[in-house]
Amino acid sequence: MASAPELEAWEVFRQEKDGDPMRHGGSVMAPDAELATHYARELFGRRQESVRLWVVRRRDIVDLADPDLLQPPLDRSYKKPGGYLMRDKLAAARERSGESKPKARSSGGARSR
Amino acid sequence: MTVAVLPTTALGELLRSMADDEFVIGFSDSEWTGIAPLLEEDVAMSSLAQDELGHAAALYGLLGELIGSDPDSLAYDRQPEAYRHCRLLDHGRGDWAMTIARRYLYDTADAVRLEALAGGAWVPLADLVAKLIREERYHRMHAGAWLERLARDDGEARTRLLLALRELQPDAATVFTPLPDEVALVDGGILAAPMPELERRWRAAIGPVFAELDLPTPPAARQMQRGRLDHGEAFRWLWSEFTSVRRSEPGGTW
Repeated sequence: MASAPELEAWEVFRQEKDGDPMRHGGSVMAPDAELATHYARELFGRRQESVRLWVVRRRDIVDLADPDLLQPPLDRSYKKPGGYLMRDKLAAARERSGESKPKARSSGGARSR
Repeated sequence: MTVAVLPTTALGELLRSMADDEFVIGFSDSEWTGIAPLLEEDVAMSSLAQDELGHAAALYGLLGELIGSDPDSLAYDRQPEAYRHCRLLDHGRGDWAMTIARRYLYDTADAVRLEALAGGAWVPLADLVAKLIREERYHRMHAGAWLERLARDDGEARTRLLLALRELQPDAATVFTPLPDEVALVDGGILAAPMPELERRWRAAIGPVFAELDLPTPPAARQMQRGRLDHGEAFRWLWSEFTSVRRSEPGGTW
């Protein structure tokens, strides 16, 4: 008897509507890309909740979780914008140009492309 | 194009046969819920089954408007012998190979039937068919992917597939059982071609796939003239399942 095909994990990213970023939806187990796509469609698209899916073989993802690279031990606060006192300068600049403060961006995230 | 005089009797037979096909395969495949070969396939097969029940509801809806009945009553209040699904769908669920073989044979035949109804003269049906064609495309992709995997296996999977085909294939062509007075549908521009022509188109469509996978092609149907009659034990059992809630309190609202 032939051995059953090996199942592997596929990560599924979904877009809810045109212009939205692709967000991670979850994963499916499947033996190949074709069935992975079918299962992604059933698990993340059967209720019309997606307009696009990306299905990525998990082992094709370049994984980076090295703390030396991502969480180095020395102080990094000087790389963050919080160290700069910009608020008063910005307010003064707006005063001079006569522009009002820009409104907060609507929720839903920035356009991806 | 519109129909001058609606061939109501023939149209009713067409709608009933299509709706019963979708209803029976939908209910039959829903038996996999919870026990499919893997979780993802469980969700997929259950979702496909729901799709078919949705198609059946839409077709029963059209039939109900035509003959003055409601979809629930059409689906649940008939005796087993009044159903007009084809014999291909009259077998027990069987194993996974049986389910895939049946789905593949039915979905490919249904696609040919739907193509022959697309753009037909009776607008309510033509409109619905346009939507069904888009949904059934995925069903064929799913069944085709599985048929190929079972057929290309060199062990138990292929053996089981061949056994399933041996049981199902003598009934495969019954999807194209000629309908009573179907000439009225063809003359009225509702159906593009009579059933024997649709069967030829279906055989032409699946022939290359079966040859590629080295599978036997379906023989001519046994007893084609009774291809939608004389339902067997397997369907009587399924009927008793899908009518059990309805029969438990006739007329009840759920």
